[in-house]
Amino acid sequence: MLTPLHQQAIASMSYEKPDLVHGYAGQTLKVDLTDRSFEIKPVTREMKDTFTGGKGFDLWLLWNAVTGETAWNDPENAVCISSGPMGGTPIYPGSGKSIVTTISPLTGSVMDSNVGGYFGPYLKFSGFDALEIVGKSAGNTVLYIDGESGNIQLLDMNDLPEESYGLSEALTEHFGGPDRKKISVVSAGPGARHTYFGCLNFSYYDGRRKQTRNKQAGRGGIGTVFEDKGLKGLVVKCTSFSVDTNNPADKDALKTCAKAHTRNIRELDPKQNEMAKGGTTFITMIMNDHDLLPTHNFRYGQHPQAKNLAADVFRRLFDPGFDGCWYGCSVACAHGVKGFVPTTGPYRGQQVFVDGPEYETIAGVGSNLGIFDPYTVLEINFYCDAYGIDTISFGTATAFAMDCYDSKLIGKEQTGGLDLSFGNRWSALTLLHQMAAGEGFGVVLGKGIRKMKEFFSREYGADAALMQDIGMESKGLEFSEYISKESLAQQGGYGLALKGPQHDEAWLIFLDQVHNLMPTFEQKSENLHWFPMIRTWFGLCGLCKLPWNDIVPADNDQTEEPAKVMGHMKLYAEYFSSVTGRQVTPDDLVVMSEKVYNFQRLFNLKMGFGRRTQDRIPYRAMGPATVLEYESRQKRYDQDLRDKYGLDVTGLTTSEKIAALREKREEQYEKLTDAVYARRGWTSDGIPTLATVKRLGIDYPEVVELLAAHGVRE
Amino acid sequence: MIRVDDQEVQWFEGMTVTDLLKQIGYEGSCAVVRINETHVSRPTFDQTLVPDGAQVYLIPMIAGG
Ligand code: SF4
Repeated sequence: MLTPLHQQAIASMSYEKPDLVHGYAGQTLKVDLTDRSFEIKPVTREMKDTFTGGKGFDLWLLWNAVTGETAWNDPENAVCISSGPMGGTPIYPGSGKSIVTTISPLTGSVMDSNVGGYFGPYLKFSGFDALEIVGKSAGNTVLYIDGESGNIQLLDMNDLPEESYGLSEALTEHFGGPDRKKISVVSAGPGARHTYFGCLNFSYYDGRRKQTRNKQAGRGGIGTVFEDKGLKGLVVKCTSFSVDTNNPADKDALKTCAKAHTRNIRELDPKQNEMAKGGTTFITMIMNDHDLLPTHNFRYGQHPQAKNLAADVFRRLFDPGFDGCWYGCSVACAHGVKGFVPTTGPYRGQQVFVDGPEYETIAGVGSNLGIFDPYTVLEINFYCDAYGIDTISFGTATAFAMDCYDSKLIGKEQTGGLDLSFGNRWSALTLLHQMAAGEGFGVVLGKGIRKMKEFFSREYGADAALMQDIGMESKGLEFSEYISKESLAQQGGYGLALKGPQHDEAWLIFLDQVHNLMPTFEQKSENLHWFPMIRTWFGLCGLCKLPWNDIVPADNDQTEEPAKVMGHMKLYAEYFSSVTGRQVTPDDLVVMSEKVYNFQRLFNLKMGFGRRTQDRIPYRAMGPATVLEYESRQKRYDQDLRDKYGLDVTGLTTSEKIAALREKREEQYEKLTDAVYARRGWTSDGIPTLATVKRLGIDYPEVVELLAAHGVRE
Repeated sequence: MIRVDDQEVQWFEGMTVTDLLKQIGYEGSCAVVRINETHVSRPTFDQTLVPDGAQVYLIPMIAGG
């Protein structure tokens, strides 16, 4: 039993909870923290037709909230959270995701992040398809949406715990009492306040373990915006629900496709990657064996000690059991470690539950830092979540700082005495605690790689060109954890992604490099068109992307286009039709995404980005940036120069070979960019053409004006 | 004897993953297999021995991430 909390209402409003119609509540909620007001806005037919829901609704609300000049910490910046028409369906695998958008402190443009936990579905079942929070409060503010009684309150709660685990536990108990399953909490933490890569934790109550669990909306500093608004937590209380709550248009059809997909997963996951037992941890060794696992700031793709971070290690540590992050998800990949005892920080010596780790965290805070100790990975994972820090950006930014230290661009005078050698786990943990405390070198690091590059160059005269090559960020966002040097398609997947180099948009590395499914330029650009569209669609509907292609039907290899996993795409089309009543085919899903995808690209343009120059990536993402890297895989690179580009390498120095390879690979990337832009219906500067926006029905006057201002008139 | 997906396959001493895939006509078309609980990738097929009695799964495609 936790200490009782005190709350003081600063604003409240009652509302009539609508019945959902075919997956939609039909309204959104706007909360202005500055003037403490609430506004309920209708969801129009046009919103549904153009933006579908989820990320689409978020983007539309955000677009209308900000101007091209809005900075991340301006009051008008909005944090938008939504589910989607299928969100909350408790019988179809992966149907409990929320999507969050805001203007990011790292990129200055639109950020989106997809997350489990119960908040999105509970929000919708409480009457709102999306939540939009603008303005700023004095701090310690909690927004409480009571879907049971139809009441919304802004509360001042000044004796809440600082860390996210404590916060979600305390708020769940306070508002849930004996009904904790009815509560979901969104919170950040002190690390989010002092860095630019704060994450949000979305909670759900784990009835079996009798504790609150957290999933993270990690990317792009959404937690930082949340903290800057003076928010401590968002709490939603939901009444009981069932498959009927979404009021699906055709319940029988819904049950049929849900059953089929569930059966596929139940039968096939045990024969494929056993995600129900180990989550995504199986990826680590597969990446390592294919030279794709980032180690030492993406220098190399393999390490002899990687087996210390392999799936079997974490499977032994995971608390066994069925761990779905929403009801009915038979993939059940949301594992965690019980009874872990941190050796540092405020929880030192206490038993805690760690939610994770997933592959990205293992690679990001483990191998990429040269740390091959699973317990350190767990400890960093735990404190990142507790402090509200994105594990991917923390890992990639720390790897960059370690590389700068190793390359003598910075030294102990700059790091406050910290030895930032690769593999130094104490230093990595110290940096993390410094971020939470807002002190020391952790604060410099917490501003992200782009800001570090400027700072090291300006203050310490560090080599800007070298940092540009080895600083693994694009658009201001840190790379997620894959070596893309030998996969041109993945380079495009990273560089041409709307929000920055996150693999959720286009993970093509294996299909390209290992399965060799797209040998030509045309095939790569075709894949860079449809793959992001399919991935985008899940974010429009409140769905998780994993059940689509992390488990594939047994006959998938025999289908015409195995990469599309058409067996599952057909089920998704049936799912959408059965809930919303709009009859669609798999091709229609791609068009739905195209509308939102292009709108997001235009949103980037509105924010001063969204052009070719922002789609460039650091050279280390394309090839060997240093002599060390080249020589470590000399045979491969020499052969590439000889066989692919017809260059006689005899007598050339390594530096000369690096330069020759670089010229070729950069040229390839530019050619790919041209091909993808053309396929997407964009100009050679990466701007959607007028014809494209007209075809997609997003030719709003403001959009047409924006295009004209950039010289795009047809 | 070992099992590959749902079929029984004759095992021999010293059998590597490459040998196994050759034997069942899957050479070159499979990038990852799982032997009991451990994933094995193509670059190590030549050096990885398949133990007698193993349950082997041919992983159709690694497409997620
Ligand atoms: S597949 Fe995993 S992450 Fe996705 S909804 Fe299911 S449990 Fe959650």
